Amino acid sequence: MNKILSWQNAVKALLGFVISVYSCNVCSAEQENRYKIENQFVKFGLSARTPEQMAAFYEARGFPKQAIEAATQHCFITVGIRNISKHKIWLDLNRWRIFNEQGAVARTNREQWKQKWQQLNVPLASQATFNWTLLPESRDLHPDEPVGGNITLTPTDMPFTVEAVFATGDDQQGQPFVVKIENVRCLKDGEIKS
Amino acid sequence: MTIKQLLSCVMIPVLFAIPGPIIAGTNMPEGIIKLDGRKAPELKLDDLDGNSYDLAQSRGKWVFVHFWAAWCGPCRREMPTVQTLAEQLTGSPIEIRLVNTAENDDVVFSFLGVVAPEMPTLMDRDGLVTERWQPRGLPASFFVSPAGTLEYIALGGRQWDKPEFLNFVKQLIKNKTVRHSN
Repeated sequence: MNKILSWQNAVKALLGFVISVYSCNVCSAEQENRYKIENQFVKFGLSARTPEQMAAFYEARGFPKQAIEAATQHCFITVGIRNISKHKIWLDLNRWRIFNEQGAVARTNREQWKQKWQQLNVPLASQATFNWTLLPESRDLHPDEPVGGNITLTPTDMPFTVEAVFATGDDQQGQPFVVKIENVRCLKDGEIKS
Repeated sequence: MTIKQLLSCVMIPVLFAIPGPIIAGTNMPEGIIKLDGRKAPELKLDDLDGNSYDLAQSRGKWVFVHFWAAWCGPCRREMPTVQTLAEQLTGSPIEIRLVNTAENDDVVFSFLGVVAPEMPTLMDRDGLVTERWQPRGLPASFFVSPAGTLEYIALGGRQWDKPEFLNFVKQLIKNKTVRHSN
């Protein structure tokens, strides 16, 4: 009897792991390079932006030329996440894997941007606005709480995969889950389709 | 049947029929969470007309501190509801204080003129006050108690003109606190 129970427990644990790691009840690519995924934990959306889009956005906010030039040398991906579970989940960009056939796709983090802005003498107001447009580096998300912002990558011509890992539970000790999106591309100017 | 049995047959249904006291957890609308009650950070800013404001001068009243920016989509959707909330609470012992994060006068003037023309705002021109308050994102709404402590925060944008949020704020003012579940 004990052996049967332990087998059952093992199967349950394995199923739970598989479901939590790769659950994807609804995956849709609405249009090229726009993705929406929904599972029992999150609604997760991802959109690639062109350099022109980002330049227009920051220029409209009065960013100096050197800041816009620095920004447009990066591949911007806008991410939107909403915790649709009844429990706390945890966003930590250091746990995300972004990679293609050539290996990891580098991400410029918040601290690196701060150093860049200081080198370029970008005004504090522009630095503040830019920070608020980035996805937070790490955060808890309460039930029904949304969070959104950009991740900024070293541009690559090859499609890449985003594996977003989330911890769960008040103490981050619950079963983690992963949202995986393949064939994401950095967009070039003129690539947006209506 | 004894009298005791008869009474229990009558009383038990009656007891269940009488509305009981407010049960913990039923008064907090979705998206409002309790904070740890630490002292609110300093907030000393000017508004668009150059009038100075200091949060410390609002002791004795609840203060709704709302951080926003014109480029933020949820801020645009939420701001008219903040104006409605302010209108509904005219004369109440609560202040509504908007704080624009890191934008210039022209942008702010154009935005509010369309979205919420009756709402004045404080100007955090270099974004440092917003940084000090560490909101969870933009928009962000804090409820500061009459004692100057951070008591509640709204998660993301909320529709402040909905009854559950208006009732929450009214209860806050009336009771100085809101029962909530842990």
